[in-house]
Amino acid sequence: MQTIDITLTVNDQQQTLPVKSNDTLLEVIRDYLDLTGSKEGCGEGVCGSCTVLLDGHPVRACLTLALEADGCAVTTVEGLADEDTLSPLQQSFIDHGAVQCGFCTPGMLISAKALLDENPSPDRQKLRQALSGNICRCTGYAKIVDAVAHAARPESGCPDCHTKDSGGDHD
Amino acid sequence: MRLPQFTYHSPDTLEGVLALLDEHRDNAGVLAGGTDLLVRMKHRLAVPKVLVSLKHLDTLSYIKETSEMVSIGAKTPIIDVIRSNRVQQQAPALGQACERIGAVSIQHFRGTIGGNILQDNRCIHYNQSQFHRTGRQPCHKDGGKICYAREEADRCNSTCQSDGAAALMALGAQLNLCSSKGERQVSLDAFYTTDGIHPFDMQPDELLTRIDIPIVPGAVSVYQRLSFRSAIDYPIVCAGVRLVPDPDDAGCIKSARIVVGAMGRSPLFLAKVSQSLAGKRFDDIAAVAQAGKDAMNTAAAFAAHNAGAALPYRQAMVETMVIRALELAAAQASMKIAR
Ligand SMILES: Cc1cc2nc3c(=O)[nH]c(=O)nc-3n(C[C@H](O)[C@H](O)[C@H](O)COP(=O)(O)OP(=O)(O)OC[C@H]3O[C@@H](n4cnc5c(N)ncnc54)[C@H](O)[C@@H]3O)c2cc1C
Ligand code: SF4
Repeated sequence: MQTIDITLTVNDQQQTLPVKSNDTLLEVIRDYLDLTGSKEGCGEGVCGSCTVLLDGHPVRACLTLALEADGCAVTTVEGLADEDTLSPLQQSFIDHGAVQCGFCTPGMLISAKALLDENPSPDRQKLRQALSGNICRCTGYAKIVDAVAHAARPESGCPDCHTKDSGGDHD
Repeated sequence: MRLPQFTYHSPDTLEGVLALLDEHRDNAGVLAGGTDLLVRMKHRLAVPKVLVSLKHLDTLSYIKETSEMVSIGAKTPIIDVIRSNRVQQQAPALGQACERIGAVSIQHFRGTIGGNILQDNRCIHYNQSQFHRTGRQPCHKDGGKICYAREEADRCNSTCQSDGAAALMALGAQLNLCSSKGERQVSLDAFYTTDGIHPFDMQPDELLTRIDIPIVPGAVSVYQRLSFRSAIDYPIVCAGVRLVPDPDDAGCIKSARIVVGAMGRSPLFLAKVSQSLAGKRFDDIAAVAQAGKDAMNTAAAFAAHNAGAALPYRQAMVETMVIRALELAAAQASMKIAR
């Protein structure tokens, strides 16, 4: 079986590691590097729980060959916090109760980060579109959208928040 | 879900890719973004022994414009097509189609326009895990002799659910295919076989290198699509239209191209229905309504019950998609005149 060395910069740390040709980026992140934040949900690109940033862009790690990521920078959910201090986006998820079972959360956070890195103050429509490739079976999305909207504009408080009255995200 | 084993190559040059395709032919798979191929490999629907990655072929990633056409390299990421001013101005239907493909985090950065056109046809009975498929007899596309989508069908009726292909066909696009023996051009209209197992008229040693979209002065184009969820899901019906105004009377349609997608083994260019709009005024509501009905009646016969929604619903929605696309295109044409 073909084994090839690749170099990845994962959460700012450069590493060289031998991978098999049929290893996905997700398998390398989880099984070789022990970064188990990124999840395998469906394994076929639908659910979004394996979403990572590849050179700053959101991609499905389950549909990316590790070999294709050679030389790239990868950001996983473990790369969002600064030591023990959560990023404002992560904190906002907690403050808004945007996490229930937590399985989709790593992918949601990464898709949200990708959006905010590119567009620091997205409208709600853009925000929902950016998260539309990530499936959540618990929250009904309302609180996730609230959490990201708040992280984008913390100074504006939570004027549109569903967190207080809640229900579904019907807008 | 593990991928099957294969040998991986990522040549630095086009010649290198073509040489490998020539050497391995049916045993080789081209890897662009992988968002279609790797799923099929995980399901063991495709088991190429050799994967030839286009990773280093950045020369196939571009969007260029001449006075006659917009040319798009096959490896151009979907996001570049969506964001391209050239596409927005000269081929808006393609931009609209690409925006609707899957979701930002699935294809926009990894998926390519070439891979979008060349993704395999789909069927809910076939695009399933290996475990699911072992529970019943194989269908035609899986090497068997039956079809679950259309009773007594002697061949496969899998559906082309590419958003990009339907829009590009409406725009009259041409494909440029290269092999180590040379290159050839084929119009998208003539690119499809009528075989759901091998939907493309393409040799295993050929690589799609470029898509050319003719620029037609004054033309307007629109893409409309229906899917269960607005993101992630494939289209269950879609329509692309291009309307060209008469140079002597801008309120009049000189020619139309109406294409219905996700309703057959290929996108369906409806020549007769398109022809019926030539000479009609853009605001001729009756002609548009009739075209919608005719499109539905023509396309209905091609579809099989294999894209999720009930077949009669998909058939009925052809009319809605075509009318919406035509109305939006007519509105754009009148805005152009007002300018
Ligand atoms: C969850 C999910 C949702 C999806 N939703 C949609 C959707 O709504 N609409 C839609 O149209 N598609 C959808 N797709 C399918 C697919 O992701 C897109 O069509 C994407 O654009 C494919 O591009 P790619 O570069 O990833 O293709 P790849 O998987 O790399 O390639 C697809 C096929 O084309 C061949 N190929 C690619 N490039 C070339 C070339 N230059 N020359 C010769 N052969 C080539 C490959 O060998 C392969 O057989 C979806 C996929 C997933 C997983
Ligand atoms: S259309 Fe019929 S033969 Fe083709 S994939 Fe579906 S069930 Fe199989």
